[in-house]
Amino acid sequence: MDKETFEIMVMDYLAGEMTVSDKDMFDTLLKENPEYQKTYLDLEASWHSIQKLNSPEPSKKMDDSFFNMLSKEVEKNQANTSKNIVDEWFGWFRPQFALGALLLLIGLGLGYFLSPKEEASTENNVVDIETEEVRQKLVLTLLEQPSANQRLQGVGEANKIAKVDEIVIKALLKTLNSDTNVNVRLAAVESLTNYVDNPLVRQGLVQAIPNQESPIMQITLANLMVALQEKASIEPFKQLLKEQELDTTVKKKIKNSIESII
Amino acid sequence: MQDLTDNSLMLKVKKGDLDKLGLLYERHKNKLFGFFYNLGNNPSVSEDLVQNVFVRMLQYRSSFSGNGAFGAWMFRMARNVNYDYHKKAAKTEVSSSSSNIEIRDPMNDELNEGIETEGNNALLRRAMAQLSEEKRELLILTKYKGLKFSELAEIIGCSEGAAKVRVHRALKELRGIFLELEIG
Repeated sequence: MDKETFEIMVMDYLAGEMTVSDKDMFDTLLKENPEYQKTYLDLEASWHSIQKLNSPEPSKKMDDSFFNMLSKEVEKNQANTSKNIVDEWFGWFRPQFALGALLLLIGLGLGYFLSPKEEASTENNVVDIETEEVRQKLVLTLLEQPSANQRLQGVGEANKIAKVDEIVIKALLKTLNSDTNVNVRLAAVESLTNYVDNPLVRQGLVQAIPNQESPIMQITLANLMVALQEKASIEPFKQLLKEQELDTTVKKKIKNSIESII
Repeated sequence: MQDLTDNSLMLKVKKGDLDKLGLLYERHKNKLFGFFYNLGNNPSVSEDLVQNVFVRMLQYRSSFSGNGAFGAWMFRMARNVNYDYHKKAAKTEVSSSSSNIEIRDPMNDELNEGIETEGNNALLRRAMAQLSEEKRELLILTKYKGLKFSELAEIIGCSEGAAKVRVHRALKELRGIFLELEIG
């Protein structure tokens, strides 16, 4: 065996990079050659003393300065990244962006001066009126549905109508007086409060007071009447107070409301 | 788990996720400190050099391909950092690494070792100081578990076989110096 091959084998053996069969072969070689064995043992001692060579622990100061350096780099990197994105965007699109903006402005200007304003507004008005009509029909249809959900939806649609006609108001008042579901009735009160300037609505609300059996409806109407300072409501409230089955809390509330209105 | 290997962490750093360098630092700071310290630098200089390695990793992160082992890339950088430091120090007449080895008090270094081992360690350090810088570096690198001869060869830029032969001869020389010092 030449010198170099032996040297390589020793290092493989010491570093544990030898296969089991090569290791066995190397052990046999050492046993059979005392000179190789002596060389190996000398090197093994040096090898192990180097492996055992230790060093102190680094100080905490090293960690501090490393993490300071890292956080500065991270900040710098983030700033660069956002700057790059902006630069890239404007770098790529600067001429196109300017031209695009100019064309848009010209387009808008031309559109503004050349548009047939009156015709458009007339058309828009016609469309608005048609939409309102369709919506009113929808409200009336929905309020007639057997499902409480759909009736609630009908009241919701009524809220979207800017100017309701008498038919819709009557339909809402009918709902307030006769709907079986208290939530629908509450929604109807809420919807009608949008049109309290209409005498028909105020009258309808006052007339609805004696028809209400649900305490929550009675309290809601009492609050509304106080807010409207509707003196015409005093008489129906007094009638309501005469009823034996009236809830004591409601009774107290109505009495307070009457006093507030007077 | 694949995401947590040194290579994948360094690739993330390369892509801009610089925070991941913190993890690599935690994993390798002691190894690097030991490398610089055992090469003969005093603790304070060793700490500065560890910091310089990580600064360099950030600077040259784009050069990390992920094909070789991270350890090899890191130690190659550490060697360059050490070389640059001593080149600069020689110019400014700062004390050289070998003198540091000789003046260092072993009692402060190996507090937990037995007296005999302390003596051997001190002798070993003196023997190491008499080796050429290249051989000393080679022997120190063999200390790090996980660094195979193929990677060591990659660090020093030679074939695997040549790396083994060089380590073998450096060990033999160290043994000779050690025995001389022991007798003397």
